[in-house]
Amino acid sequence: MTFWKILIILAEGAGYTILVTIAAMVAGLAVGLLTAVLSRLHRKYVDIFLDVYKYIFRSIPVLVILFLVYFGLPGIGIRVPPFLSMVVSLGLVSGAYLAEIFRGAMAAVSNNEMMAAEAAGLKRTQIFSHIILPQMFRMSVPGMINEFTSILKYTPFAYTVGIPEIMKAAMTLAAMTLRGLEIYLAAGIIYFVIYKGFIMMFAAVEKKFHIPGLLVE
Amino acid sequence: MALIEVKNLIKNFDGKNILRGVNMELHEGRSKVVMGPSGCGKTTLLRCLNLLIAPTAGQIIFKGNDITRPGVDIRRLRQDIGFVFQHFALYSHLTVEENVTLGLRKIKKMKKKDAVEKATYELERVGMFDHRNKYPAQLSGGQKQRAAIVRALAMDPAVMFLDEPTSALDPQMSREVVTVINKLYLDNITMLCVTHDPFLAKYISDSIVFMHEGVVVAEDIAERLFYDHDDPRIRQFFLSVIDHR
Repeated sequence: MTFWKILIILAEGAGYTILVTIAAMVAGLAVGLLTAVLSRLHRKYVDIFLDVYKYIFRSIPVLVILFLVYFGLPGIGIRVPPFLSMVVSLGLVSGAYLAEIFRGAMAAVSNNEMMAAEAAGLKRTQIFSHIILPQMFRMSVPGMINEFTSILKYTPFAYTVGIPEIMKAAMTLAAMTLRGLEIYLAAGIIYFVIYKGFIMMFAAVEKKFHIPGLLVE
Repeated sequence: MALIEVKNLIKNFDGKNILRGVNMELHEGRSKVVMGPSGCGKTTLLRCLNLLIAPTAGQIIFKGNDITRPGVDIRRLRQDIGFVFQHFALYSHLTVEENVTLGLRKIKKMKKKDAVEKATYELERVGMFDHRNKYPAQLSGGQKQRAAIVRALAMDPAVMFLDEPTSALDPQMSREVVTVINKLYLDNITMLCVTHDPFLAKYISDSIVFMHEGVVVAEDIAERLFYDHDDPRIRQFFLSVIDHR
């Protein structure tokens, strides 16, 4: 079996890796954004709940959360399919980190601009959607890229719940051929290519939405 | 009837009396400048007048309605007041044109085409049309302040509030902005401006209100306040600000 053939076999699992990464990114963004928005309400009990959530999900390893969701929840009668388990686990962990990134970016939005918007007569929801949110997203880009690459690097855990992604394919192939060095090297190359692809995509998005003097360089 | 009438306005912050019974009037088509030493309550007064800061006591009558009474539509009131800030406060993620059209579209509910037309007209008035597609970070201080003035002016407010519009600018940029505000003055735009700048005050005001420690101590035309006033507090203030220029 040539190295090229190994690459092709492993690349078949890359589809799942990309799918899990994108789905977890979307889930993480949704959770992170919701958390950041709720934290702006400054309600005592909401804040406590959000702090506990962020603290827990940033402290416990993803694999533990994944096992809790996939292997633990059936114990109380909740069966979560493998793909959903992976997306929920990664989404919750990633959301906890993204919430902090968003919180920092929101704090960086100029108070003067918000006061000007208020003085002009814009509603709070309009100030949030037209002033805070667009700036927050732009200022969060470097942090988001960091977080999304972390998600990609967590995706190999998907093999533990039976998702046939790159690592699952690599382990099966290595067990059959005993050519671990080439196979895992090939897996590394494929992850690198995916990583590079995502980075190029993010860079294009960053460039498109770049605003002079606003983005954190 | 005055457009704005302020009666015995008081504002306390953490036990400190910032405004200690301010009384003043502003009539439609007139321009008034508020001057006084730092900490005398000028900016607080301006912010109380459009309820960015809630007054502790007193009355503000705007267009015949007491806006300090509960239940007043604050957003509706603010649409009638164009506010220009010392540090420009342009929305940094929007171009100059978008800064101007945001309020027109979201508050006045104008169609995009109409909002752009209005913005174009106002930007041309102050020589900012060529800069319409630039972001705030790409503008000089004077251009930023002119854009901020246009943003406020485009909403066709009943009155313009200007909070130290030239104090963050160097003399040349300051002159640019004074020229623009002077043009508004000559167009009979109702204005209330807070400033330390006697040059600006002289060229944009019908009268100057002098505040000291939270109260209005004098109101007169520039020439009579600036030079050899009987009140030592006023004389001292203008001696220092005029000398420093």
